[in-house]
Amino acid sequence: MSTFLLILITGVGLGALYFLVASGLSLIYGLMGVLNFAHGSFLTIGAFTGLWVSTKVFPNPTTWTFIAAMIAGGIAAGLFALVMEQLVINRLYNRHIDQALVTVGVALVVAAVLGGWFGNDLRLLPTPLWFMKAVTIGDAIIPIDRFIYIGVAAILLTAMLSILKFTRIGLIIRAGVENRSMVSALGINVRLAFSTVFFIGGFAAGVGGVLISVFSYGVSPGMAGSWLIYGFIVVVVGGMGSLTGSAIAAMLIGITNQFANYYVTGLGDFVVVFILAAVLLTKPSGLLGKVSH
Amino acid sequence: MLRWKYSRPLLVAVTLIFALLPFIGNNPVTNPGLQQTMAVAFLYGALALTYDLLFGFTGLLSFGHALYFASGIYVTAILINTYNWNFYLAVLAAIIFTSILAALTGAASLRTTGITFAMVTLAFGQAGHVIITRDFGGLTHGDNGLPINADRIPSFFIGVVNTKFLYLLALGILVFIYLAAWWITESSAGRVFAALRDNEQRVSVLGLNPNRFKLLSFVLSAALAAFIGAGMLVVSGGGSPRFASSETTIALLLMVILGGPVTRWGAVLGGILYSVLGTRLNSLSQGSTFDSLPTFIKGPLSEPAFTLGMIFILIVMFAPGGISGAYYRARFKYLNKGK
Repeated sequence: MSTFLLILITGVGLGALYFLVASGLSLIYGLMGVLNFAHGSFLTIGAFTGLWVSTKVFPNPTTWTFIAAMIAGGIAAGLFALVMEQLVINRLYNRHIDQALVTVGVALVVAAVLGGWFGNDLRLLPTPLWFMKAVTIGDAIIPIDRFIYIGVAAILLTAMLSILKFTRIGLIIRAGVENRSMVSALGINVRLAFSTVFFIGGFAAGVGGVLISVFSYGVSPGMAGSWLIYGFIVVVVGGMGSLTGSAIAAMLIGITNQFANYYVTGLGDFVVVFILAAVLLTKPSGLLGKVSH
Repeated sequence: MLRWKYSRPLLVAVTLIFALLPFIGNNPVTNPGLQQTMAVAFLYGALALTYDLLFGFTGLLSFGHALYFASGIYVTAILINTYNWNFYLAVLAAIIFTSILAALTGAASLRTTGITFAMVTLAFGQAGHVIITRDFGGLTHGDNGLPINADRIPSFFIGVVNTKFLYLLALGILVFIYLAAWWITESSAGRVFAALRDNEQRVSVLGLNPNRFKLLSFVLSAALAAFIGAGMLVVSGGGSPRFASSETTIALLLMVILGGPVTRWGAVLGGILYSVLGTRLNSLSQGSTFDSLPTFIKGPLSEPAFTLGMIFILIVMFAPGGISGAYYRARFKYLNKGK
């Protein structure tokens, strides 16, 4: 029973990290039809900013400095996303394949620049000491960092859903996901919604990057690789453009991955691809997906 | 496309010159080191062409092409090493296995279109990479790579003195793939591929099943990639997980964009240039070329990915069509001069 609980909570924690990567991908794709390969770069930029804040700005890690590192990572990644959208994506308006290709180029350049500046080695991100502790639930001993991932992802999910639900820009984004041409035909500035979505997506990925460096014990220019691919899988399984779908798919994939890995090491990655194939064969638009570009 | 009369003799002449270079007098290609580099470059040129068949000619943006290349490498190597198969039989079996694998994964992926298709193929490719690195059943030796048992491959490919035969083998494979791609794209199925890229709806209105032709294109390019993989196994002396990584597929995409899609020679040229450039930039960055520059510029410049990524972004944004596209634009301008 205790092992079951440990695996379950670890799986949910992993799912929370997947969600942070996938949420932006899903929104960006849902609204603009852009397959964003540079999303991994947002993650890495967030992680490096977090590293800078928690080593250079505040050398003694406490809970507050870690929160500051997460917010700084999110903002840096969000701003980078905004700049990329303005400089590169906007110029290739509606050329979806070219937009995807150009983000591949951006991902290469960002990894090379970070590698050139900081080297390609793994650097440890300092965390407050209590991150290393564990809590006891019943007879299960569970490392505390899992709860941090879950908590942060839950806060961001709530925040993003509230923005989508209660603000004017959120309304425009939701309408744009349904039918972008109709929104612009009504004379509403969709471009602003594009920039917002890029910033929000970048922010979530940046925060995710800081947390992922805690999870995988370090920051490096190449850290985003498999996380981005998992992000894509979560987005496809959950349905393009649906935040709730991404959240459900992230949990599903995180939990199955952990349970499969517990029984056979390395089976997790395989089972995830199996889930993907199963979802595609039964419901190609994903669990909660409606849009198709 | 190479339609004018002198282009075909020109291609034949260029191929012959490259085939003879290792044997004449005192030129750089007589050096085994460069022969090895060129052999790898030829194979990547051929591989880029098989990717162009999918991406350029049929309009399918796949991010899993490396899977079929790696499958060709690993299945051949495993059959030779573990099961003691005859080399040629193993290559044939690898091609058949890869075709079946491509038919299964392709059929699942083709339930989606466009960008989703790209993501799904990426996931399948990644699963292949995971299988190879995790070393299920002890067949692939994971990150250590899988060196080929030298006793089982034809002896004239072994040893530094014989690097020129590897060079010729790679050139031969390139020529074969080029002819195959030529034949495929000019066949009636090839016309349907192009029609699918340009207007899929129209193809189905004409009574043809788009998915069947997409799958055909997918399986054909995978089978050719597996064949090139068997060549790569001999040339590089073994399998390595990096052949299956998504970076390899992305490199193929870069090659095709660099050389220009849908022109056949563009993809080949792009593949050869990218491969040689990758090696050269690596040695440049280890030298002292950039020493006079300030550190914050020198760092990124010493990473080949920086230069390649920048070139890639600039081509996509400002020069769609790559090298061959620029050539045809210039030629078009020249022919229309004075009209």
